[in-house]
Amino acid sequence: MSVAVKRSPETEIDPAKRSRTQPTQFEEDLTRLHSQKGQSVDQIWARPEVPSDFRSKDIVFQQIDAEETTLNGESTVRLFGVTDTGNSIMCDVTGFLHYFYVPVPILRDGASEPFTDEDVREFAAYLREQFPGLAKIEIVMKQSLWGYRSEHKSPFFKIFGRDPMAVTRMRSSFEHNNIQFKRYEFSQQTYDNISYTLRCTVDCHITGMSWLTLPKDKYVVVPDNKRQARTQLEVSVSFKDLIAHSPDGEFLKSAPLRVLSFDIECAGRKGIFPDPAIDPVIQIANMVQVQGEKTPFIRNVFTVGTCSKIAGTQVLEYEREQDLLTDWSKFMNEVDPDVIIGYNTSNFDFPYLINRAEALKLRQFPYFARLKHVQNVVSLEKFSSKAYGTLENKATNVDGRIQIDMLQYIRREYKLRSYSLNSVSAHFLEEQKEDVHHSIITELQNGNAESRHRLAVYCLKDAYLPLRLMDKLMALVNMTEMARVTGVPISYLLSRGQQIKVISQLFRKALEVGMVVPNMKQEGSSDEQYEGATVIEPVRGYYSMPIATLDFSSLYPSVMMAHNLCYTTLIEDRSTIDRLNLKEGEDYIRTPNGDLFVTTKIRRGLLPIILHELISARKRAKADLKNETDPFRRAVLDGRQLALKISANSVYGFTGATVGKLPCLAISSSVTAFGRQMIEHTKSMVEKHYTTKNGYDFDAQVIYGDTDSVMVKFGPQELEKCMELGKEAADLVSETFVSPIKLEFEKVYFPYLLINKKRYAGLYWTRPDKFDKMDTKGIETVRRDNCQLVQNVIETALNRILIDRDVKGAEKYVKQVISDLLQNRIDLSQLVITKALTKDNYDDGDKQAHVALAKRMRARDPGSAPTLGDRVAYVIIRGAAGMKNYQKSEDPIYVLEHNIPIDTEYYLSNQLSKPLLRIFEPILGDKANQLLTGAHTRTISKVTPTTGGLMKFAVKTELCKGCKRPLRGAYAKGAVCENCIDRVPELYLHSLADLNGVQEKFARLWTQCQRCQGSLHQDVICSSKDCPIFFMRRKAQKEVETSESELRKFDFTEW
Amino acid sequence: MLEAKLDAASQLKKIVEAIRDMLGECNIECNETGLALQSLDKSHIVLVSLLLGSDGFSEYRCDRGVTLGLNINSLATVLRCANNDDILTLRSEDRANELILTFEDSKADRISEFNLRLMDIDQEYLAIPETEYAATVVMSAAVLQRTLRDLSALSEAVTIEIDKEGIRFSAEGDLGKGSTHFKPCVDMENAENSINITLSEPVSLSFNLQYFSNITKASSLSSTVTLQMTAGMPAQIEYKLPSGHVRYYFAPKIEDDPYA
Repeated sequence: MSVAVKRSPETEIDPAKRSRTQPTQFEEDLTRLHSQKGQSVDQIWARPEVPSDFRSKDIVFQQIDAEETTLNGESTVRLFGVTDTGNSIMCDVTGFLHYFYVPVPILRDGASEPFTDEDVREFAAYLREQFPGLAKIEIVMKQSLWGYRSEHKSPFFKIFGRDPMAVTRMRSSFEHNNIQFKRYEFSQQTYDNISYTLRCTVDCHITGMSWLTLPKDKYVVVPDNKRQARTQLEVSVSFKDLIAHSPDGEFLKSAPLRVLSFDIECAGRKGIFPDPAIDPVIQIANMVQVQGEKTPFIRNVFTVGTCSKIAGTQVLEYEREQDLLTDWSKFMNEVDPDVIIGYNTSNFDFPYLINRAEALKLRQFPYFARLKHVQNVVSLEKFSSKAYGTLENKATNVDGRIQIDMLQYIRREYKLRSYSLNSVSAHFLEEQKEDVHHSIITELQNGNAESRHRLAVYCLKDAYLPLRLMDKLMALVNMTEMARVTGVPISYLLSRGQQIKVISQLFRKALEVGMVVPNMKQEGSSDEQYEGATVIEPVRGYYSMPIATLDFSSLYPSVMMAHNLCYTTLIEDRSTIDRLNLKEGEDYIRTPNGDLFVTTKIRRGLLPIILHELISARKRAKADLKNETDPFRRAVLDGRQLALKISANSVYGFTGATVGKLPCLAISSSVTAFGRQMIEHTKSMVEKHYTTKNGYDFDAQVIYGDTDSVMVKFGPQELEKCMELGKEAADLVSETFVSPIKLEFEKVYFPYLLINKKRYAGLYWTRPDKFDKMDTKGIETVRRDNCQLVQNVIETALNRILIDRDVKGAEKYVKQVISDLLQNRIDLSQLVITKALTKDNYDDGDKQAHVALAKRMRARDPGSAPTLGDRVAYVIIRGAAGMKNYQKSEDPIYVLEHNIPIDTEYYLSNQLSKPLLRIFEPILGDKANQLLTGAHTRTISKVTPTTGGLMKFAVKTELCKGCKRPLRGAYAKGAVCENCIDRVPELYLHSLADLNGVQEKFARLWTQCQRCQGSLHQDVICSSKDCPIFFMRRKAQKEVETSESELRKFDFTEW
Repeated sequence: MLEAKLDAASQLKKIVEAIRDMLGECNIECNETGLALQSLDKSHIVLVSLLLGSDGFSEYRCDRGVTLGLNINSLATVLRCANNDDILTLRSEDRANELILTFEDSKADRISEFNLRLMDIDQEYLAIPETEYAATVVMSAAVLQRTLRDLSALSEAVTIEIDKEGIRFSAEGDLGKGSTHFKPCVDMENAENSINITLSEPVSLSFNLQYFSNITKASSLSSTVTLQMTAGMPAQIEYKLPSGHVRYYFAPKIEDDPYA
């Protein structure tokens, strides 16, 4: 008999053959965007005209960036911004002189004799001789920020320089003790070392992203022939005349900022990552949206070659790449965006464009910054920070515009399994995108107008998604609020660390109270450590009763506030105590660490004031948030309260940053010492009070505590009861602490699985009727060097244990998975591990699985091998005894195609066993090991590969479908042996059902991918290594082929 | 139902020790003619084929075919409990999920019994087609083992050349190079030291030494070994048993094959 077999639909993509097809989902979105705005496809690029009567009014604008420059030989701070009416402006703030402080020496010939006015004049003359950049010297009464000595202020020289360089030179001369004037002994300690831009904005009370008013008679409009900027307005104003508004009330608003998001496509060659020296840029898609509006008002795509029309989108076709690039640069300057975003623009799009233009000798291209004569240049930036580690990034200057690379933003703010645009979109927007490998892009480009249309839609989507992500994550709003709270320009937030934010606040506060900040030499090493937070040894186990959690809210900030810990309150010199006759406990305190600080009775510390302001501002923002209904203002307020919280918490870190600007271990180690003491105190108090002796039903036990929280087992089974006890205990303990330290009852874990320090899982309840969520900490679910299987197994097992309360069920599930794994029934996509191939590890990472694989793949076929920057997906395959894991990594696709056996042992013992034992040991004790060795591990399946070693020579003897015996002789090609002939109808139906099953599975996966790409009428071109569906699809395709050939065997059986 | 008795446990112990490094789990087919095992090693470079004919057992009974799914390492662990001259009996009921091993010490009247859990192993059945080999060498098993061990200090690969003049083993590595050459010879006193070469054309093949030394662990089973080779084909290496054999099909090293 013969069987008709359906061919599987996955064929090679031939873009030229595609005819005009139905619009994709995303194209429909584009149409919708278009109809909402109701404009023509030829969109207006330019900004609105400047009102003709602007000279008769004050200029009010929001400044978005500040940089220093020299204008006519004079230092100037250059502000860029946007007015209420959406006009761009550049404003030069003139007349501000940079300065620093040095204490006035008082000793002459060993006798106290103050500087006379005459001396000051002579001293100025002396200095000017050496430093022509000296502008003037004043004597002012100031006090050092560091240490408490007395309330008296003392005289300081305030030395002004004509430019920032002069200030630096003079400062260093003082610090190196090179100043010899009469017989005065000058201190080598100078004060107030801060960049010119920050100095000016601090003194003018300008915070990042704040609003400014330029009074109408005070500013000067720069004449056209002297203009330097491309902004619509260019003015200059004296620093004395500009009015800075604090971001409150009316000035919470945002100017109509133009946000441009773009994405480029280049036509690479097979197997080689695109190189700007050779590979052309073929498309650039752009979306421009006004901050606060919902849809982009400019949507266009620049293409090389023809491209079919795209709904709601302007298509600009070019024959030559050179013209495309030149026009794009012009487009940038016409749209004049305030914010430029994109995905991985810093490290890819911008450098590629700039380098490509250079290769094509387009000299006009790299001029799309806001300053006419400033060329866009790519530089390498190395950035080290304790919080973010060392990052090496490329940076391209776009003076006057804010640049936010969403990839970098998301990397900083969120910890994710994968940072590909695809998976980030799936995570935050619940929307997938195709992941088209760059080798396919060239094929599409070389096709026809239709295939380029396909590519353009893809490119547009890549430009649209960063915009959606920015809106969804409120990136710009949150950064704006952070800039406003801390005072730094918004560009610092992405390019610099945490310290600059605290420094900015500290200088602002110090200026208010007449203090100066010592310029500490950075001599500490990062090895210098102090004792950190305390961790109460966990009583490991599975708790099937409610566990109440008591938290100190903002522990470190409140400790600093409660005990008045600050640079300004620290008593370093103990003689001060006798000199001022201070009493311990009343005038000063001794911290558990042994350091002395004066109390608020003597002086209120600066840091506590800053913290108090931050925390009460946060309370206000939260209260406003409750009453606010306007969604944009809600977003602003929420961003603000978050920024305030983060800022408050970073103050403590600043004092402990040993390589920082102003480290003070007396403060930071006192803070942690107080923290430790409080945790211990809470533990002992709870355990002493809640006892059967005191009339409670159970003896309470603290089972774990970390940094700012304590977990208490009160005993009762009822949630409500435990919540009551928790609240009561929190109040009870709080009373014993100094305000504003407060212990709060926040949540109950029930049930609770305590695995180890910083590792636990539990159901999180804040009210007794319904749990909020499952909360896990330190459990392998986000680590990327784990395969998906681990994450799924752990998650499901935890769900069964915690939510279903079915430990037996969880065990059964785990055993089933292990058994499936050993029998090769686990989907390959679950076993894939991915890692990015970077330059570093490519050069010297031969022993890393993904690098070794990339090299082996290159040897096999350079065309399809991963290149630098690609994510390498691999699985571990079975190898000879003694082979290392990195020798056993293999491309999942290759594994699928050649049926290569998976190293199930590796997945069991290297991937699954540790996390599983961690979860199950507290519950099952020693029996947990049985999960990995029980009877379920005795049925295995050995896969025979189709390639390598002996396989070229070995002959596979087919087995009978009925009795599994090797088929020989006349029956060798058929489906069954002579004894099973009578079972053919039954077995045939079985095989047919198999084929139908896998065909349906494949069809479903195929449509799933088509849905994801947004069109049911086009072939799937996605090859996302991070997507489980992709591997399932390839596997299903393979299964269809196998089932087809199995069924065909019946052709050779007579019956 | 299988019941098979060996007069000395050492016979089985040696066989299992010889193959345990190469095989993890595998099926042993039992039928009226004896026990047979055919399985690829973990890296798919070597196919191990073991035949223990029923004549090799002092008693043998197997009415219906039985498949024993064994973890070879577990079997080796159990066999370690037997003394070399114990009488060993293997028993397995039809459809049972265990193999019963008894060790009897006839002098001391000691009987130990072990039940080994069987596994259900799903694997494909592979074979290397019978061919005429271009060259056949019969030589001392111990000499072969020694020669390869010496060369493994130099390199990971050995090249074997066979021609009319004899058989030559050579290896080259960072350290330097070395080779051993054997001429055909007949030793009347110690027949196993003879080297006998039959040849239709000269052959030269390279092999991975690590695997090769695993194979020569079977030297304890037989005083001589038969090497058969044809260019571009797997070599066949056979150790004869009193009734049956242990045979290896060994894929040669081919430059562009990353798995060899």
